Amino acid sequence: MLFSILGAVAILVLWEVLSLYVNRAIMASPAETAVALARLAWGSTLWVQLLITLKRLVIGLAVGAGVGLIMGVLAGLDERARSFFEPVRWVGMTIPAVILVGLSMLWFGLGDFTVIFMVALIVIPTVYINTLSGIQGVDGRLVEMGRVYRFSRRLLLTEIYAPGMAMPVMAGLTLATGLGVRAVVLAEVLGAMSGIGHAFTRAMSLLEAPEMFAWVVVLLALMAVIEFGVLRPLKRRVTRWRKVPQ
Amino acid sequence: MIRLEHVTKRFDSLEVFRDLSLHVADNQIVGVVGPSGSGKTTLLKLVAGMVQADEGTIAVDPGAIGYVFQEPRLLPWRTSLDNVAATLRARGWEKTEARERAAAWIERVGLKGFEDYHPAELSGGMAQRVSIARAFAVDPRVLLLDEPFSNVDLALKDSLMEILQRIIREGQTTVMYVTHDLTEALRLADRIVEITPERRLRELDLSDRRAVAAEWLSASLGKL
Repeated sequence: MLFSILGAVAILVLWEVLSLYVNRAIMASPAETAVALARLAWGSTLWVQLLITLKRLVIGLAVGAGVGLIMGVLAGLDERARSFFEPVRWVGMTIPAVILVGLSMLWFGLGDFTVIFMVALIVIPTVYINTLSGIQGVDGRLVEMGRVYRFSRRLLLTEIYAPGMAMPVMAGLTLATGLGVRAVVLAEVLGAMSGIGHAFTRAMSLLEAPEMFAWVVVLLALMAVIEFGVLRPLKRRVTRWRKVPQ
Repeated sequence: MIRLEHVTKRFDSLEVFRDLSLHVADNQIVGVVGPSGSGKTTLLKLVAGMVQADEGTIAVDPGAIGYVFQEPRLLPWRTSLDNVAATLRARGWEKTEARERAAAWIERVGLKGFEDYHPAELSGGMAQRVSIARAFAVDPRVLLLDEPFSNVDLALKDSLMEILQRIIREGQTTVMYVTHDLTEALRLADRIVEITPERRLRELDLSDRRAVAAEWLSASLGKL
């Protein structure tokens, strides 16, 4: 904990030092950023843009994670499904994000749908791969035990598969969330007229460095809330049993 | 009752059994002995319906099957109590009743006080006792035991055997007990069949159990 605080302080100090030597139009100091942040928070701008981005991120993540999870489970249980999804995964992981944004803009225009589509598409392969590796890692001897004792499909899923694959799926979701945040901002920078990404671009075009940096801080805060407020408690909950001495 | 008629089982080109027949009457305890790789576990899996025969028929009493594996096979994320209760819930028991019955069985195998322990917190012998509790809790008409004491030391094996003997005698269960150790089977079984190197079943004459054990032990010692 101490070293984490020291690390955060080091970033702030480095930022402050850099801001002393770099042109004020492109680099704001921490203090200027704080003032800009307070100004944005005082009005409605910050909250409106934050909610727009959050909504797109949550929907995109939910759709992408849901599709990735279902694909991963199907592929883990059936080799034909795995072969079928392999080209889909490969294409999804190979096409650069910026090209996906470009195509989405052409197909769906600027706005919510483009951003959500983009986030979902970026997230699917990561969740798929982690779910597949999770389901393949489930102890086959436990599944055999469940079958002998006539576990229903639901019980097999809730008592054996879900807890058995929880760790890699949680790792996939954490990774996917990070990717999703990057994707939502990229898509908003290029293909939307609102949201944090768009607000950042607007500030950049006006050379409003403090506001630019304030939006970056908002993004970091958003990610922190998701990671520490949602993902980590969820991970602790699903892997509670691992805390017992081995 | 367990009845196998002219059963043949192959795994790809490997023929494990050909034209194998075995009848086990209600509440009878049959020991199946044979060296490692002779197909003992496959025989149990056929009876449990975990693998299907290529030819022949297999009939088993309707009702629950209890299975004790070589290793405990407990759910690591569930407590001892919930491991036992999970098999009851699979049979349609309500949660509260399942937990009550599970607690009673945990107590019967001498683990009262360890209900809330996870498998990783239990010794190997304790975990195997939980798996025995799990097998009996479902009130099995047929109980299949696959070398359940092969991974425990001699002293522990003795105490686990006593627990098993006591519970089997008290219940109404047809038992198939697979082991490579004939002396274990002699302690527990009403009758014993041996899987020969040709993968045929040979019924042992148990009119003089001590003589059978002595012959087996001297054959084992002869290999030293």
